[in-house]
Amino acid sequence: MPVFPTLFAGTIWQTNVTVIATIFLTGLIIFVVLRVGLARMDMRRPRGLQNLIEWAAEFATNMARETMPTEQSVNFILPLAFVMLLFLFVANWLGLIMSITVHFNPHMSVWGLSPSDLAGSKGDIELFDSPTSNMSMALALAIMVWVISHARGLRHPKQWLRHFYSPSPLAVIEEITNPLTHGMRLYGNIFAGEALLGIMLRAPFALHWIPWQLPLIVLWLFYSGFVATIQAYVFSILMCLYVGNKSFEGHAHH
Amino acid sequence: MGGVFQVGTFIFSIISFLIVFFFIQRFAFKPLAKMLDQRRQHVESQITEAEKSREEAASLLAEQRQLLEEARKEAKNLLDAARVRADEQAREILLKAEEEASRILEENRQAIVRERDEALAAVTQRVAELSVELTAKLLHSHVSPELHREMVAEAEKRLGELVC
Repeated sequence: MPVFPTLFAGTIWQTNVTVIATIFLTGLIIFVVLRVGLARMDMRRPRGLQNLIEWAAEFATNMARETMPTEQSVNFILPLAFVMLLFLFVANWLGLIMSITVHFNPHMSVWGLSPSDLAGSKGDIELFDSPTSNMSMALALAIMVWVISHARGLRHPKQWLRHFYSPSPLAVIEEITNPLTHGMRLYGNIFAGEALLGIMLRAPFALHWIPWQLPLIVLWLFYSGFVATIQAYVFSILMCLYVGNKSFEGHAHH
Repeated sequence: MGGVFQVGTFIFSIISFLIVFFFIQRFAFKPLAKMLDQRRQHVESQITEAEKSREEAASLLAEQRQLLEEARKEAKNLLDAARVRADEQAREILLKAEEEASRILEENRQAIVRERDEALAAVTQRVAELSVELTAKLLHSHVSPELHREMVAEAEKRLGELVC
């Protein structure tokens, strides 16, 4: 079981510092790339990185248009969809690109971790990982989306109330399952990919020198990269879908 | 520990993500969206402008074509009128020339007739005189002036009847 540097250890506010740090790192990477790409923004002749960024923006716009009922709600969700898409893409890839682990004497107590915690990971502390491979973080994003969707739904309280029992009261159950599956799907996919990758990397060589797991690692790396990209898309489009389902101003016209 | 739900991680993740989102949205996405919107408006205005100028060009072309057609028609009319007038003039000139010719011919004919008449008259008179003189010579000049005049008149009369 990998352990991470922890804040407020032992209290209910226990916080995984690696996750918070990598969230900011992801944000920084996206911010720098966008700023560099748009530094010499040209309306008439886009070139290089600007093309890529414009393509991403167009992709996010199409995604939002397909799932949202009105242009108004598209404009509302578009910044979040764009940022979420890029954020999850980079975040999901972070753990595949590299991992940083420091080794401590398991009898010490460092960074909010007790000797028993360190003993469980043989003294290894992970300093770098995908933030989305943490369940709390993935669920946090899902719940955030859930809150946004209901906040938007509450702009039309009557329709918001009615959508719980009409057309079917199962919608109440969906209110619990949707955010749960939304977050757990992301967490599960990313965590599984990285966990298996870590196991294969730590496996001993056959006869101490044959790297038998190397082809498997390469294969799994490709597959995990594929999954990381797909999951970024799936999470973002589900976010648009959930918020779109509760944007009632468009439903009145249907 | 990645698999255990941590309230602190949960809350700070949301806060961190919102901070990241705010910065990216404010300083990277907004300029991008603004630029894309500008481009969309630019393209739209260009298209409407192009459509408008094409319509204008089409109407101008139609107008020009109509004007050309009118000018051509007018030119044809002018040409036709000129041709008609020229024909008329030519006919008039011809007519006048014919008249003139016939008039001159007539005058000349009259002059010829007159001269012939005159010449005939002169010849007749001369012949009458000569014949009278001859007769007088033959009759040994025994003719009184009175009788001479009478004979000449007689001869002229007879010759005139003879000639005409």
